[in-house]
Amino acid sequence: MYEPQRLHPLAVLEFTLRKIYSLGQALLPLLIIAIAQQGIRKWLILAIPILLILFIAYGILYWLGYVFYISGQELRVEYGVLVRKKRYIPFERIQTVQISAGVLQRLFSLVKVQVETAGGGSKAEFVLAALSRDKAEELQQILQAGVKHVEGTEDKTECIEYKLSTRSLLLLASTSNGIGVVLSAMFVIISQLDDFFSKLDVWAKVGTYVEHLATARISLIILAVCFLILLAWILSLLGTIIQFGGFQLRREGDNINISRGLFEKQQVSIPLKRIQAVKVVEGLLRQPLGMVSVQIVSISNSGTKGEGNVLFPLWPRAELGAFLEKVAPEFTIPLELHSLPARSRRRYLLINIIPALIIAILCTIYLPWGYVAFLLPLLGAGLGNRQYSDAGYQVVDDVLLLRSRILGRVTMIIPRRRIQSLHVSQNPFQARSNLSNLRVAVASSNMATTVQLKGMDIHKSGAIMNWFTDKH
Amino acid sequence: MRNNPKQCIDSKAVIYWRWSAGIKSVFLLLIPAGYYMAQQHWHWPAWITFVLLGLTLAYAIFAIIFRPDITWRTWRYEVSEQEIDLLHGVFIKTRTLIPMVRVQHVDTQQGPLLLRFGLSSVSISTAAGSHEIPALADEVAALLRDQISVLARVVDEDV
Repeated sequence: MYEPQRLHPLAVLEFTLRKIYSLGQALLPLLIIAIAQQGIRKWLILAIPILLILFIAYGILYWLGYVFYISGQELRVEYGVLVRKKRYIPFERIQTVQISAGVLQRLFSLVKVQVETAGGGSKAEFVLAALSRDKAEELQQILQAGVKHVEGTEDKTECIEYKLSTRSLLLLASTSNGIGVVLSAMFVIISQLDDFFSKLDVWAKVGTYVEHLATARISLIILAVCFLILLAWILSLLGTIIQFGGFQLRREGDNINISRGLFEKQQVSIPLKRIQAVKVVEGLLRQPLGMVSVQIVSISNSGTKGEGNVLFPLWPRAELGAFLEKVAPEFTIPLELHSLPARSRRRYLLINIIPALIIAILCTIYLPWGYVAFLLPLLGAGLGNRQYSDAGYQVVDDVLLLRSRILGRVTMIIPRRRIQSLHVSQNPFQARSNLSNLRVAVASSNMATTVQLKGMDIHKSGAIMNWFTDKH
Repeated sequence: MRNNPKQCIDSKAVIYWRWSAGIKSVFLLLIPAGYYMAQQHWHWPAWITFVLLGLTLAYAIFAIIFRPDITWRTWRYEVSEQEIDLLHGVFIKTRTLIPMVRVQHVDTQQGPLLLRFGLSSVSISTAAGSHEIPALADEVAALLRDQISVLARVVDEDV
């Protein structure tokens, strides 16, 4: 690790493909035009092998020139064919070291290592494209030890491990909200198909055929819709299983290592210090089962889209306290929250009922049977009532808890020293009834995550302001 | 309840806001003007021109005549050793607290219009976004910036 060394030769393939891909994207329109021309096509047959050889040569040169090593307290990488670039990353800038394996790496039982640093951008700072697993783990260890050394925390040898059981995985998959995403994706694809086929005029024929059938049997359409929904559900089921299969959480000292994925193993390592807040989500389907998903707000570049910030995807609510105590002791969860004053119930009801009422009125005017939509305000009232009764807050020593619901119920656990700024606001209506909104901002990958609780008594939010500024 | 912060921002800010709202309104007038031309060309409904014009004028009247006074009257700030305390908002009054140890850096800014009035704004950055105190006299802003940057120098190893 301390002498400059190269990646595994497989990286040549990765570099070559990457170059072809990036250049191909730019040149694709030109290429299509070229193929369409009789005269140029001949030249192309000659040019393509030559280009390919050039690309491979580039890949090899890039691989030869790509070295990485550790020097002092830095990870150094030098690369580039014509323009040599040197990149030094001090250990204290490194946020996470992630080991994963794509299809290409899996074929040769290799891995890639992503090193992330704080600061904008959605891509990992640095990707070492192909390494043997041993080397990758050695590197990960050195980097993490380095990070720890710099931060001056002692390494406890305590090690806790949690695995997602198959039963939990199936429960997770069948209660995921992914079905909505898959359904809408399917609608998009179908509508695209519609566009495509309308040009060929096949769809029209199919259409008349379906119409013919439909007049004979309306139930067929209902059946088809049911089939589509079932298909979407199965797809989302599979999606979740592929994503979260083999989920495993290990806490080693002050580090949390998470690995997941059925085919492509993803490994993330999060130092406990980087966790800004814990988010406990109780989805609509999962709350009745007493299950929650535990997520974190942390500062890192990649792996922030949806599943990347999952600490544990499914956990019994009743055992949440014990889990957090073992995994992230900074984040305690008390049993009781203070609820909001009765006078703020009205706002929660109105904010849900009014839009629903407008939709219902519009439906009644413009649609036959539109007055059925008057069920919506009723639903809105029910939801508003739940939102009101679920909203709450609590302060336990140095931790603030805020709970609210949009559809699913979300509890945020935020230590005081992670709160970057705290806001209390009042609109004119709230000023009259002594209510207020409390908002706190926490640092996260996309700059900031804000958490809000609406309709708190102004004296209670004032007390939280005092708690916040107390003996900082 | 904590006491509200006491410091006001510079009284010249009112004139500055009137000017800046005036300039903005002139640009906003381009929208009805653009629609009017399109309407002449493609024969779109004419009444929308008046609606757009009315909206622009209503905004201009509010932003040039009324808002600067209210904003000035409602803006308060206070910087202590421990925290920065801001209070502002025309309709929705927002109280913001930023602990000094969370301040990452502090800047003063001055656009061409602010420069003309001898004003600067101070922006305070934390790891979760920045907050601005608008329109302070140049000397006051510079003093505040230096003061905050000294107070914020307390080493904070987290984040």
